Amino acid sequence: MIDYRARFRTNLMIAGCGLAAFAVVPFVANSGLMFLAGLVAINIVFGLSWNLLFSGAGLLSFGHAMFFGGGAYAMAVVSLRMPEVPFVIGLALGAACGGLIALLFGIIALRRASGVYFAVLTLAFSELVHILITKTTFLGRNDGLVGIRRPVIDLGVFSIDLTSATSYYYFIIVVMALVAMMLWCFQNSPAGRLIQAIRQDMTRTAFLGVHVQVWQLTAFVLSGSIAAFCGAVMVPFTQIASPEIAYWTVSTQPILFTLLGGAGYFWGPAVGAILFGTIDFGTRTMQGLSEITVGILLLAVVLMIPGGLLGLLKRRRKKARRMAEGSSPAQHEQSGKTEAGQ
Amino acid sequence: MLYDIGLTVFNGLAWAMATFLVAAGLTLIFGILHILNFAHGGFFMIGAYVSYSLMTGMGGSLPLWLYLVGAMLAGLVVGLLGWAVDALVFRRLRDVEDAYSLIATYALLLVCGGAVQLIWGLNYLGVTPPPALNSVVFVGNVFMPTFTIFIILCGVLAYIGLELFISRTQLGQLIRVVAADPWMAQLLGLNVKRIYLITVIFSFAMAGVAGALLMPNQSLSPELGGIFLLQAFGVVIVGGMGSIRGAFLGALLLGLIESFGTYFFPQYPGIFFLLALAIILLVKPEGIMGKEQTA
Amino acid sequence: MANKMNRRALVKGMAVAGMAMPFVNLRSAVAQSGPINIGVVTPLSGPAQLIGNFVREGAEIAVEHVNANGGINGREVALMFRDSKANPNDASVAARELIGEGANLQLGTISSAVALAMGSLMESEGGVVITSGAGTEKLNHENYNPHVFRVGDSPVSRNAGLVRHIATSRPELRKWGGIIPDHEYGRTTWKIFEATMRKVIPELTGEEAVISDPILVPYGSGDYRNYIAQAMRQDVEGIYTSVYGGDAVTLYQQANPFGLFDKIDVLLDSANEFLVATAMKEETPAHWSGFHWYFEANKGNPLSDNLYERYVERTGDKYPMGWAAEAHAAILAYAGAIEKADSTETGDVIAALKGLSFDSATGVRHIRAEDNQAIKNAELAFIEPSTSAPDGFEVTDYVSLDGEKVIEAARPGQMLDTEAL
Repeated sequence: MIDYRARFRTNLMIAGCGLAAFAVVPFVANSGLMFLAGLVAINIVFGLSWNLLFSGAGLLSFGHAMFFGGGAYAMAVVSLRMPEVPFVIGLALGAACGGLIALLFGIIALRRASGVYFAVLTLAFSELVHILITKTTFLGRNDGLVGIRRPVIDLGVFSIDLTSATSYYYFIIVVMALVAMMLWCFQNSPAGRLIQAIRQDMTRTAFLGVHVQVWQLTAFVLSGSIAAFCGAVMVPFTQIASPEIAYWTVSTQPILFTLLGGAGYFWGPAVGAILFGTIDFGTRTMQGLSEITVGILLLAVVLMIPGGLLGLLKRRRKKARRMAEGSSPAQHEQSGKTEAGQ
Repeated sequence: MLYDIGLTVFNGLAWAMATFLVAAGLTLIFGILHILNFAHGGFFMIGAYVSYSLMTGMGGSLPLWLYLVGAMLAGLVVGLLGWAVDALVFRRLRDVEDAYSLIATYALLLVCGGAVQLIWGLNYLGVTPPPALNSVVFVGNVFMPTFTIFIILCGVLAYIGLELFISRTQLGQLIRVVAADPWMAQLLGLNVKRIYLITVIFSFAMAGVAGALLMPNQSLSPELGGIFLLQAFGVVIVGGMGSIRGAFLGALLLGLIESFGTYFFPQYPGIFFLLALAIILLVKPEGIMGKEQTA
Repeated sequence: MANKMNRRALVKGMAVAGMAMPFVNLRSAVAQSGPINIGVVTPLSGPAQLIGNFVREGAEIAVEHVNANGGINGREVALMFRDSKANPNDASVAARELIGEGANLQLGTISSAVALAMGSLMESEGGVVITSGAGTEKLNHENYNPHVFRVGDSPVSRNAGLVRHIATSRPELRKWGGIIPDHEYGRTTWKIFEATMRKVIPELTGEEAVISDPILVPYGSGDYRNYIAQAMRQDVEGIYTSVYGGDAVTLYQQANPFGLFDKIDVLLDSANEFLVATAMKEETPAHWSGFHWYFEANKGNPLSDNLYERYVERTGDKYPMGWAAEAHAAILAYAGAIEKADSTETGDVIAALKGLSFDSATGVRHIRAEDNQAIKNAELAFIEPSTSAPDGFEVTDYVSLDGEKVIEAARPGQMLDTEAL
């Protein structure tokens, strides 16, 4: 029997430590690094949302850019064209926009495709969404929508001023930590475990009277909404929504984060996103070499440590422990890291 | 009107066959190894650059036969690269989940772009078609550049050649067996690893030749890899992944839709291919050739 | 009116910079005696590095020149480079980081989306950026921001320059068509081309211009045959195009066998400079191209001659593109402004840049105080294929037009009004 309460506490602690680490950034680093950290925090949840689908439900999405971009544009449109709508409602609309895209697309695609076909289908649709954005005047076409204001949240009694980049940064990290924990709770809820059961053996779960597609669709919509929420949160931070954020290469990002960090671990995408942000930052003064450097690094990680960084750490620790205890093959339950999937 | 239709069909065929030349290797690798190779566009681009170097090295405008020899050499070079890629990358991707092979080949695409940039630089480059292919033919009053006719012919010949190779030769049949059931093939004593290697080399070589053949019609830049990639992907998907015949038919279908779409709705350029792709996939997600695999 | 605008913008700019002052002050106060750091955020990887390299060379040559002449008020200039990865997010990270490192004065922005994103960023972080060639008209119109300057052509001056020259030298050509990328940039250039043609032709000839619907082509495509077929169907004497870079090379290569360029009298290319000609060599269709800076047109100007010579020495490439001169001009503009203000503080530099006249590789440029847009010469050159020239093409004609005559009126904060061109 797994003690979910203990697990919840450890994961809450991980999220809390992460939050604390991010909270220190503005005090020790300049505004460029703080900005990057904010983007990384968003990317962490973007990665988690993708892995919810991949390791949770066994669906390979190659089109998460359409959700991310959808949420971002929804937020941008609300804040530029409907300034009277409260910021929080804008965020909700952004998330809803991603959920809606996921619902429409999921209803059609999940019934018909699986595996690589599903991946390719998501890729094609996501590219279609991207093209439509670049051709829509209302969405600013190729130049995107610029000059998005950061909000002041009015809570009646008092209001929270998020207009400076630093205060918005704190808003981001707190919200992202909350969403990450919500995702953890979902994955470890009966519904989340049911979806994982579908992934592990679809036929058997179906025999148990479970509506496989309905649950897959649920996971898809949830993942899409959260990815869109990430996009919506990002827009006031960067103050621009440009078509690049819906381009197909953005869809590779959460996959990269997840595989880098380790798909089998809940916090894998988080580790991957931080690592990727570091690589991105480290290559910013290289001339003409950043593309090939990133390519080779990725290739090396995928080929040599398919379990991702967390997988590597775990193996190392196991090995060390085995050496210490003599060679007892006992399987230690790793506290701290939940194993999603296999 | 008739003139316009003739030209639109002709242009659609040109799009279709150029794309098919790129897509053939892509669908072959998918059919046999079940790897969706993002790097295919990158190696197509390397083929084009290698052929560019060969052509300018031999003095620019070349007679047709030398140009074809150059294309074969480019194919050879890229085929050898395929060998290296199989040994270093693909062999390790056999038993992992799709997500890993997608990302590995995407990383490989980045490496290709970076390498091209380091070797050939960033400037836009171009070459002229061989003089024999640099003129125009009138059919009725429809205007047909000979180079475009040549590309269409190459596409058709490549298709026929591939069909014959897969169905009539012994090697082709072995490839089909492995594609259908690698486990059974292993049991029957076939060297599956070797068949995989041959497939990879062959389809990379095709990418290289395609790059070399299309190059006189295209500007060369490190962006070239991406330009044909989505198009070729679309064709492979619509055709039913892994099917050569499907890719050929898919290319024709999408080429004609793109061409007529542009003719009738010129204010929305470049969108019909994607629209058609989306609609076809919604109606028939397994592609027009269904699950009938390879050739 | 213009004066009022100017003052209001100035006051606003100063106020904002003042608010950000504590942030910037810390480091720049310390750095008062050391070199003046100027940040360059430009693509240093990926395909857009092609442009980034020109920016880098131009900026470095200008810094060489400034330092060789005793620096700015006795202080040396140093450049800090960051890769924008041609992406607004990476560019934002880099720009903020540089401001944090004390480089509040920046340049190098190329893409329109990045340049537009820089406005609010610079305003809140207390920096200034001079763009090295972003082509959007929004920069000095509806998205005008006092912290963003453009020392190069505005899209209006570039295209109006082309149109005025062609219309005066070939007034008999009245039937025009266009091939333009289905991209924000393409649409803007066409809007300006069409409006100017419709105005200039009747002025010169007393007859109306006949302008066909533009042919929209997709961005980054490998196949343009259908669009070429559309162009073949049109009854036009001249074609205007703003298709860019590799797309333009592919388009021209595929159009050659159709004889499209034999059918028309003039091909007018808004911005490719030598990009098409160096790729296509003797296959290059004869065309007029707009230039940020064409070195032959500025022969005798020591700044231009030095830029050209140093560029060729450093790279071995005989055909520098205008972006080099734009980055070069940005450094010279900063040098002029810092000298004038005797300060590197953001607010002071903004105030000094506004209304600044400075010498550059294209001669004297004047930065309008109202909308931060420079007035500079519009340059264009006629490039023809040639079997005798070593590179397969040569420039057989060029002109440099007075900037005052081709620039639009300053209307910061308002959309570009093509009626008023």
